[in-house]
Amino acid sequence: MDGLLEMIEVSKTFKTRAGEVKAVDRVSLKARRGELSVIVGASGSGKTTLLYLLGSLEKPDSGEIRVFGEDICSPDADLVAYRREHVGFVFQMFNLVPALTALENVVLPMDLAGVPVSVQRARAEELLERMNIDRRLQRARPNRMSGGEKQRVAIARALANDPEVILADEPTGNLDTATGQVVVDILARLAHRDGKCVIIVTHDESILKVADWAYRMQDGRLEGIDT
Amino acid sequence: MKRSVGNYAEAKVSSQYRMEVFEEERSMSQAERQARARTMSEEEQRAQRARFLFSEELADALASDSAVTAYDKVLTQNIELKGITNPAVQSMLAMRRQMQGREGVPQISSPSFPFEGNTDGASAADFLEGKKVLVSGSLYTYRDHLEANPVVVVEKNLAEENGLGLEDTVTAVISGKSGASSKITLTVIGIYRTEEAEEGGEGGEYTAFNPAGSTFYAPLSVVQELADVPGYVSLGSYHLDSVDSIGKIAAAFSELTGGDTRYQLDTGESSYEAIADPLNKTSRSSTIGLVGALAACALIILLAMAIVVGGRTRELGVLKAIGATDRQVVAQFAAEVVCICLVATVLAGGAAAVVGQRMGDWLMSGNTRTDDGEASQSARTGPEGFPAVMRGGGLGGEGLYLSGEGSDEEVDLHVIWRGSMFLYGMLLLLILSLLGMAVPVIWITRLRPARVLSIE
Repeated sequence: MDGLLEMIEVSKTFKTRAGEVKAVDRVSLKARRGELSVIVGASGSGKTTLLYLLGSLEKPDSGEIRVFGEDICSPDADLVAYRREHVGFVFQMFNLVPALTALENVVLPMDLAGVPVSVQRARAEELLERMNIDRRLQRARPNRMSGGEKQRVAIARALANDPEVILADEPTGNLDTATGQVVVDILARLAHRDGKCVIIVTHDESILKVADWAYRMQDGRLEGIDT
Repeated sequence: MKRSVGNYAEAKVSSQYRMEVFEEERSMSQAERQARARTMSEEEQRAQRARFLFSEELADALASDSAVTAYDKVLTQNIELKGITNPAVQSMLAMRRQMQGREGVPQISSPSFPFEGNTDGASAADFLEGKKVLVSGSLYTYRDHLEANPVVVVEKNLAEENGLGLEDTVTAVISGKSGASSKITLTVIGIYRTEEAEEGGEGGEYTAFNPAGSTFYAPLSVVQELADVPGYVSLGSYHLDSVDSIGKIAAAFSELTGGDTRYQLDTGESSYEAIADPLNKTSRSSTIGLVGALAACALIILLAMAIVVGGRTRELGVLKAIGATDRQVVAQFAAEVVCICLVATVLAGGAAAVVGQRMGDWLMSGNTRTDDGEASQSARTGPEGFPAVMRGGGLGGEGLYLSGEGSDEEVDLHVIWRGSMFLYGMLLLLILSLLGMAVPVIWITRLRPARVLSIE
């Protein structure tokens, strides 16, 4: 398997009123295509910060983050293009645009990436159908959907530009167990069947059972878990 | 407001000088005056006749100022006519003859008629302003003035009563002369109808007496010859390029006359101010209102944008997280704001169209002076930009071009709607909305998606 995403001795510190908080402390990580990595940890352990560092939403104070061997922390790195073309995000709160329909939410990243309009709609419909979102729901706004449906639409949106990396932040956090399991299965399929590099951060240790690589985050430090 | 309002000046002998001369003459008895008249040489008699006139040279010199766009010279004199009668005038004469012997009342031995001469009949103020209308024949031309053609334009009633028609002639006596060479035969080339009597002829038993109706219009050079005052005029009339040039022309006049108080320059500035003042006040009120409205508009847009952006922070964060550039995010919000502002402009335009005139009237009612002595006047202008207000200029004196009494007409403000105003409004609102977006735009560009998305 190719090394796709690699963190080397990455640290990130936040300044708060209470003082400095080391959210990520000299973390090294390697993720590959076709693998599902799961990072578990309690709230405040730094796992979301780690995910945002991988997705270039945060910049590390030190260390390197390499994608296909390129350092995305270098000053000349185009982080917006990186997020647009190589990364898909799945959030705990779904974060769908409320004014847009499910279909339009999936079209949105393609629109931002400049994908031809004629391609956008067909691909969005295909992705939503793969997520079992029927035609009626595709034209519904998020406020008319259940949590599971919203999360499936969010996954479809994350896949819109066919990224190599899927970063999921507590994807089951707002879902019941059964629905959460469906979402986890989808993410696992994306890794194992579609060859995506999927990284899930969660406090739900039950997800570890589908992980190829499991880690525990505690006080900013990352430790591997034997699965 | 049209800047042609009030862009007018008249040069004439000053009222102060006239009063001084009158006072001097009144101090003499009639016998003394008659004795002095008998001993006067011809030159002295001419100077006596021209004492309330000024030289054409002065009038021409002032006309050479670059601010003068058009000018005319006017001479008004009473000229004795042979064989012409006016029943109304005759009744006046009879009444005056009854008063003979009383102190200060001169004996009138023969009928004289007011003559007005200028360089071109078509530019005579009465015809220009429609007080007199030519009903047959033609008016004299500038060529008639240059060639001193003895032609005259006569009032219709007077012509009918004296059996005068076109091409008929009347005999006029040159002032101060006698003998065979003292008469000039004038040919009638035009007949006019009086539309508006001069104010001096109205009221009381003089209703039938209409001085304007008996006025003869002739080329300036002919009237000068008849009055035996060659090279003299009673009025220099100047139209300027703008009311703003009045100060310049006044300075030029003062320089030409050497500050001699014998001469005065009446201007349309006071008329302009009488008209312009309420309009300027309304304009200022409107401008202040506009600035206030725009400031309020900018503040509302700013606050609205802050609320909109603040309420959509998560959406902005998501957009950035999924690969939207700052420019794309700003463009999306700008498009939304512009759409809202365009709709607001159309609605505001409709509302303004409904209340605009009422608003204008309300502002005018608050700004129009109604106190005595400050006659408000119509702001409308006459044909070719000649201000109708000249009729009511209230400048006094005998000038025919600026005469009459102050009127009580109200200032009319007509709110005019033009397509360009809506375009300017839209443009202004567009700029304002973009300015109002400035702070939210800065906020958007500095927004860190990770921070927003961390707030679950």
